[in-house]
Amino acid sequence: MVALRRISTIIGYEWRRALAQKKVLALIVVTIAFQTLVMVVAYELYQSVGTAFLGSDQGFAWVFGVLQGQSFFVQLIAIVIAGGSMSEEYEHGTADLLLSKPITRVEYLLGKFLGGFFLLAIVGALITFADVILSLGFFGAQSGLQFAPLLFLAIVYASLIFFCLSFMFSEVFRGTTLAILLAFTILIASSIISPILDFLYGISSRALPTWAATSFPSFLMSELITARNILPASDPGALAQAALIIAVYAIVSILIAAYRLLTSDVTKKRA
Amino acid sequence: MAGLASHSVLSVSNLTKYYGNFKALDSVSFTVDEGCVYGYLGPNGAGKTTTIRIMLGLLKPNQGEVQIAGANPSKDPVQALRSVGYAAELPVLQAFFTAEQLLDLMGRVFGLSSQTRRDKVDSLLDLVGLKEWAKKKIGRYSKGMVQRLSVAVALINDPVVLIMDEPTIGMDPEATAHFRTLFTNLSKEGKTIFISSHLLDEVERICTHVGMINKGKIVFNGPINQVLEGFTQRWVVEAELEKVTENIVTSLKALDSVNDVRVEENKLTIELREKKDVRGEISSEIFKQQGVLLSLNLHKITLEDAYLQALKGGQ
Repeated sequence: MVALRRISTIIGYEWRRALAQKKVLALIVVTIAFQTLVMVVAYELYQSVGTAFLGSDQGFAWVFGVLQGQSFFVQLIAIVIAGGSMSEEYEHGTADLLLSKPITRVEYLLGKFLGGFFLLAIVGALITFADVILSLGFFGAQSGLQFAPLLFLAIVYASLIFFCLSFMFSEVFRGTTLAILLAFTILIASSIISPILDFLYGISSRALPTWAATSFPSFLMSELITARNILPASDPGALAQAALIIAVYAIVSILIAAYRLLTSDVTKKRA
Repeated sequence: MAGLASHSVLSVSNLTKYYGNFKALDSVSFTVDEGCVYGYLGPNGAGKTTTIRIMLGLLKPNQGEVQIAGANPSKDPVQALRSVGYAAELPVLQAFFTAEQLLDLMGRVFGLSSQTRRDKVDSLLDLVGLKEWAKKKIGRYSKGMVQRLSVAVALINDPVVLIMDEPTIGMDPEATAHFRTLFTNLSKEGKTIFISSHLLDEVERICTHVGMINKGKIVFNGPINQVLEGFTQRWVVEAELEKVTENIVTSLKALDSVNDVRVEENKLTIELREKKDVRGEISSEIFKQQGVLLSLNLHKITLEDAYLQALKGGQ
């Protein structure tokens, strides 16, 4: 119980630290603005070309909007929040203050991780909620809204890969810019090679690294609803493999970060 | 000194630390008894901050260990650090917090109740003279104010052991005097205080024990009166002359009672072989060489002298 209290204190601290950074708030605003723009463009296309744009799926416009924002911006916010989580404390010299108190390094790591991740979850909820409202406003009554909480959870789970990668780089290299840059490079690279990986999966049914990071929410929704203009065809195998890949990446990244923190000195400035 | 007790609350044994190939600490050992005010002295880069950071579990030693209240801070930080307060040298505190918020957070880490935290925050901000700045962001504070807040943070848990790395650096003279009184009062309350400082005058005034470190090695460790006594084997006479000539220096060096003579402009520092007042002999020798003596003082040893001699001996 005492350990939980200390972890929750660090979680609260991490929220305040992350929100004090204007870049995180700016990214949230940009994401909402992007989603609004997507909805406006989708609506204009819908108005000009009629049902040809979303076909019969305009009732699932909210799913389309959420997935557009999730595939890039939520991952980017995850990278930015996690990228500074550990390293900024070393760079600013503030790690000393907390780690010279009666708190274990594992509690510190868990508090930092969970604090950042809960903040990301709130961002995910905000984005999902905003998209549902925008879709209702632009496209009228929406279908399958009972799955909105599930889609939100899928988005949060899918963001684990880049959140954990960025968190690991942040602790291993103890440099915020480097951590964000590395994780962002992997995100961009995975987006570029994603069609190739999708093709390889199609012919071999074998999942490849990072392939699942942004596709998991789409796979989940395609199991729940039929919206061929928005979602891929249902494939329970792909969904399971995506879930597994995310879990493996997240666990390995956290273990590497924990090993680094537990076995090395608390540095005051980046080496 | 009130509260001096026989058992140690802080024990450092055989501590060795490498940064790459550089040996920052070389088998450093000392103990600090309950109620002591221990001054940790050494030049820049001697290993003072490294020792303190190992004591707090921030650095991992290559060899040796630290025990605070019977626990090793590297292995059991919760047990070892629950009764420790720490103020860092030129601390960096979270700029986005106000002083109130930071102290409240630290109180939470120590598991203080909300009422205790409120009371503590108010009284500590008053104690360090930051009450009017309580609701302002730390990012707007001067270095001296951050230093003062750092001392308040160190006292939030009413610590048994207070570890301070250059606690008055960056403070104005008034604040320095205030904090010296504060540390003296805290030691009278029975708190064990470990101070790393360059300010020998400060250490001499408030410390009961001294540890001196140079190039990662302890060169002296013991009660402050012992260090002063230990380094007064050679007394020093300081003479100011109208003009110092080669003849005067040579003739003084030739005296049996004189060990060495150092010249600095028109001043002579004459190191004696024994604890004996030979000012008469020295003045007559100077007159004999037609020197005009302006002043002649038998110099009492200060901590600074002892410190410099200890460093010289340790090299």
